[in-house]
Amino acid sequence: MPVKQLLSRNCGKIDPRNIDDFIKAKGFQSLEHARSTMSPEGVIEEVKKSGLKGRGGAGFPCGAKWELARKSKGPNKYLICNADEGEVGTFKDRYLIQNDPFSLIEGMAIAAYAIGAAKAFIYLRAEYHYLKGLLAGAITQSEQKGFLKGLDIEIREGAGAYICGEESALMNSIEGKRGEARYKPPFPPTSGLFNEPTIINNVETLANLPLILGKGAAWYQKLGTGQSKGTKLFCVSGDVARPGVYELELGSSLWELVDGQAGARDIKLVQVGGSTGRVFPADRLDTPLAYESVLGSGAVMVLDQSRDVVEFVHRTMKFLNEESCGQCAPCREGTEVMVEILGRLDAGQGVPGDLRTLEYLSQAMMLTALCGLGQAAPLPVLDTLEHFRSEYENRIGQAVFIRSLKALGA
Amino acid sequence: MSATKAVINGTEIKVKAGTTILEAARQAGFEVPTLCHHPELTPSGNCRMCVVEVEGSPRLVASCHTPLAQGMVIQTHSDKVLAARKAVVELLLTAHTGPCVNDSRASACELHKLAAELEVGPPRFQVQAPRFYPVENDSPYVRRDMSRCILCRRCVRACREVAKKGILSMAYRGFQSKVVFEADDPLNSEQCKDCGVCIEFCPTSALSKPVEEVA
Repeated sequence: MPVKQLLSRNCGKIDPRNIDDFIKAKGFQSLEHARSTMSPEGVIEEVKKSGLKGRGGAGFPCGAKWELARKSKGPNKYLICNADEGEVGTFKDRYLIQNDPFSLIEGMAIAAYAIGAAKAFIYLRAEYHYLKGLLAGAITQSEQKGFLKGLDIEIREGAGAYICGEESALMNSIEGKRGEARYKPPFPPTSGLFNEPTIINNVETLANLPLILGKGAAWYQKLGTGQSKGTKLFCVSGDVARPGVYELELGSSLWELVDGQAGARDIKLVQVGGSTGRVFPADRLDTPLAYESVLGSGAVMVLDQSRDVVEFVHRTMKFLNEESCGQCAPCREGTEVMVEILGRLDAGQGVPGDLRTLEYLSQAMMLTALCGLGQAAPLPVLDTLEHFRSEYENRIGQAVFIRSLKALGA
Repeated sequence: MSATKAVINGTEIKVKAGTTILEAARQAGFEVPTLCHHPELTPSGNCRMCVVEVEGSPRLVASCHTPLAQGMVIQTHSDKVLAARKAVVELLLTAHTGPCVNDSRASACELHKLAAELEVGPPRFQVQAPRFYPVENDSPYVRRDMSRCILCRRCVRACREVAKKGILSMAYRGFQSKVVFEADDPLNSEQCKDCGVCIEFCPTSALSKPVEEVA
């Protein structure tokens, strides 16, 4: 399937600092259309029909989530745009904010209208501080043109924690609390920010809304596969000739993206979905990029034959260990133990039982951890153990051999 | 309030709506082990000891904070659950310093009791460096040996919810997480005084009554 320019239709074509450019490109027409001809319930129905699912990684159906919040009773409802984009190798939200901030704001206004929120937050990651001025300018201009009647959008900045991209930790962060995931239920649409009904959507999810409302759910429905509608921005990095953001129809193959578009050569493995993403060896690149198979946040990292699998997994685990919030035991202690084992394996000090211990620990972490970080942290370990087991075994074999030589006094 | 019906370990049960899985299981006579949970405190869900298997859920569910839902089918002692609980106990034991088993103060340690109950021997895991903190014995009210802390946060919640002081909190993150007073300062006897409530809630010997230093 070819590259599409739907979400990125305005990127590079309009001046992101000038609302008039955006309006000339039919900007805010979907919002006006929704407000003047559709009820909030009607908007939710249309989004449900479109099949739009969350683009942040979890892939929850957007319309169904909104409906829950719409039906929840509460004097205040909140909309949060998750612009934390902390997942390793993800930079699509930055691309959208940098090039087309007004589409995001239009999407937020549509979402707020649908769920009945008068207050919205954009949670911007600390590293994107340089985008704050641009975004604030876009909000001010939209207000001045009267597009944000009855909606107050406030930008809140994160402080650099990976976990604060997780929706409940993000809400804690906005509330001024320690950035830690909350247990669920209750889910945010019934009790979220300040215990009020809250909808949290990713930047890219919100940026889809002007398209869906403008061209209709029936048109949007035709893009993608059975369970994955629309297009998606993919962030390709690593050993490729042309790293960057690519917009592809959902259901396109991993091969088409990394080889066809980004120009990867001698691929050893591709990690899809960031540091807790799935790992695909070179012979599995026919996998379609869709919710049915693999998608995550859209981060696609390519490692070529010169890379070492054990080192790669060790580095990934060090990151997750560093970013574990420390709340629940399986993640706090488990990632520390994993770093110990993977560190020894990487340094050539493995012992034969290590792989069994890794599998035992992975299983326990996936089953018991409180939030997505701890539950998904073992995935790169398990995937590489499945596809590259011989590399782990070779490391251990070499370590045993060298130790035995030393024991012989050689 | 309406009633919620569910099945726990093959037994049909009916409880008041809003009851947690843990409470429901205990009412039905099934003992689910807990560590960070305490009936007098709001649930925290950090230790994951009380996980149970809920049919249709890909992951185990912590019973102390999950309300029983209509029609749930629950196993509290399946092989999958027991294996996961054992692993969690092993993890919690791993980062400890010193042989607690031989310590008279450890006799009341809830983690060691759980380890015995679940047949957990020496943990099969290691860490690069266990958590170690010097013993703090300056306060006349609480002696803190944070090397023995398992970060269940019962003291933090007890200080806030029972003693109504709220002077303990969490600091640092990940493996370095620690229960602290102020900016990780020694307990000062102006804010922390005439109380000792947290000691009663500590499942290990991390918090205890002060002992006279023998000169």
